[in-house]
Amino acid sequence: MVMNKTLLEVRGLMVGFPTPDGLVRASDTVDLEIYSRETLGLIGETGSGKTVLGMAILRLLQPNTIIKGEIRYRGRDLLSLPEDEMRKIRGREIGVVLQNSGTSLNPVYTVGDQIAEAVTLHQGLKGTEAWHRAVELLDAVRIADPARMAGEYPHQFSGGMRERALIAMALACNPSFLIADEPTKGLDAVTKREVIDLFGEVNRDRSVLFITHDIEAARNLATRVAVMYAGEIVELGGTGEVLSDPAHPYTQGLLASLPERGMRPIPGSAPSLITPPPGCRFSPRCGCAGEGCRTEHPGLVEVRPGHYARCMLYDRG
Amino acid sequence: MSRKTVLAASLGIVLAYCVVALLAPVIAPYDPHAITGAPLSPPDREHPLGTNDLAQDIFSRLIWGTRATLLLGFLGATIAVVLGTAVGIISGYYGGTVDEAVMRVIDVAMTIPIFPLLLILTMFFRPGIYVTAVLMGLLGSFQGVRVIRSQVLSLAVADFVTGTRALGARDGYIMGRHILPNILPLAGVKFVFSAQHFMLIGIGLGFLGIGDPSVVDWGQMINRASQNGAIILGLWWWLIPPGLAVTLISLALAWLGYACEDEINPRLRLLRV
Repeated sequence: MVMNKTLLEVRGLMVGFPTPDGLVRASDTVDLEIYSRETLGLIGETGSGKTVLGMAILRLLQPNTIIKGEIRYRGRDLLSLPEDEMRKIRGREIGVVLQNSGTSLNPVYTVGDQIAEAVTLHQGLKGTEAWHRAVELLDAVRIADPARMAGEYPHQFSGGMRERALIAMALACNPSFLIADEPTKGLDAVTKREVIDLFGEVNRDRSVLFITHDIEAARNLATRVAVMYAGEIVELGGTGEVLSDPAHPYTQGLLASLPERGMRPIPGSAPSLITPPPGCRFSPRCGCAGEGCRTEHPGLVEVRPGHYARCMLYDRG
Repeated sequence: MSRKTVLAASLGIVLAYCVVALLAPVIAPYDPHAITGAPLSPPDREHPLGTNDLAQDIFSRLIWGTRATLLLGFLGATIAVVLGTAVGIISGYYGGTVDEAVMRVIDVAMTIPIFPLLLILTMFFRPGIYVTAVLMGLLGSFQGVRVIRSQVLSLAVADFVTGTRALGARDGYIMGRHILPNILPLAGVKFVFSAQHFMLIGIGLGFLGIGDPSVVDWGQMINRASQNGAIILGLWWWLIPPGLAVTLISLALAWLGYACEDEINPRLRLLRV
């Protein structure tokens, strides 16, 4: 694929949540680029920091969160932008489909009202105009009988329909970058397929950060894949290469744990994010960890052109 | 009695009181301050509830007294709920230092018993029905702040609130359009209970002799009757009617409050047998 210009650039991002037990580093020195019109799949277990990374981009985390590093969107550092400017970017430039479609719509308003709201906030459309746009958007995400469904309340929508409604809301102002946080979570196989197909259309004219722990969804949609473990990116590269010939033992383990590959789970569980292991964070669970792995923290090195991994197997100084 | 019956009956009583208050000049046969015949006469055709020691018609005074009680209750409750909701939403939504500051002030304020404070304050200002209503509203809003805030704390981190922020909405917009409608039922219940509470306080102030001297109110009626020996002299028509009127509106509001509470929180039905 042709790599065109960088849309979003994350440099040395650290996101920490202060707790009585210490600082939880949910994301630790993450470096990442997202190019124009590419779909980057972000995969990893629950708690690896995927959602936090997505939320940090839009500065939607709680006010007491400690965020360090740089997030550049079209050259502007989002972390140092005043709140007023940030608000103009949210929804208009960068859209987001939140996790938990079940609770992401306000129960007291109709779905149409809430999509119309997204239009009203940035495009100045009001009343019936905004409502018509909402119906168009519902139609665009292939909700049958959109004119009638726009007048229904969220609890009258099925899980798949709510997910589509959220996608419609995120796309209301035609953002050039979309963050989708586990949009296939909790959906049955058929509905999941439909949502993935929908994203296949959505990602044609915009960049998408597709956060998921559904490796198949990532394989279908993503041009590149980033694998997160314990707050760090441990592998990054073209989708085909990372998922068929993974360089990092963690990615290898993830793939081996898939049902069709024999369902062999990785032994142990993810480490504490307050006091992560001193060396390679995956070393306590890694089958091929040597002495050096437990003391030295490997950097992200290029294993093949455009394919990076954070492992002592490749980081030889 | 089923929940719906209680709701309908209590709502009916409250509405009836409102109608009486609004139509007082039409319903009352006499001017409540006018001398209308012989003093202390028992009920007869001219005076359905007899007259008091000043020869004023008790039925007319009872009708006009509805105005004072309802005004105190509803105006006080409106102030308390609007204030409590506004401060509760801001405190719960912003959290952090703002919340901490508001809650500590409320903690201190809530240790002060409202009735004695109201006594002192109403005497400090000139006793007047509006002054009393505003003071009750201000002092009564503290508890409301707590109740509303605790609800807003969970709403402020609800996914749909984050979602609206992600669309680029301002804080004020989120609080007004997304958080407020979700706490309106709670604020409504709070309003009904506050109104009941304030009506009783109003009666109490009247009874203690610091009601508004320019209006007719049930507290002052009861006070005058008991001060002048209505019980000993067996002048039941002087004492009983305002007492019953207070009891009924107070009960109706309590029932209404409980019925509304059950309506918004079905789990309470299981607890309240």
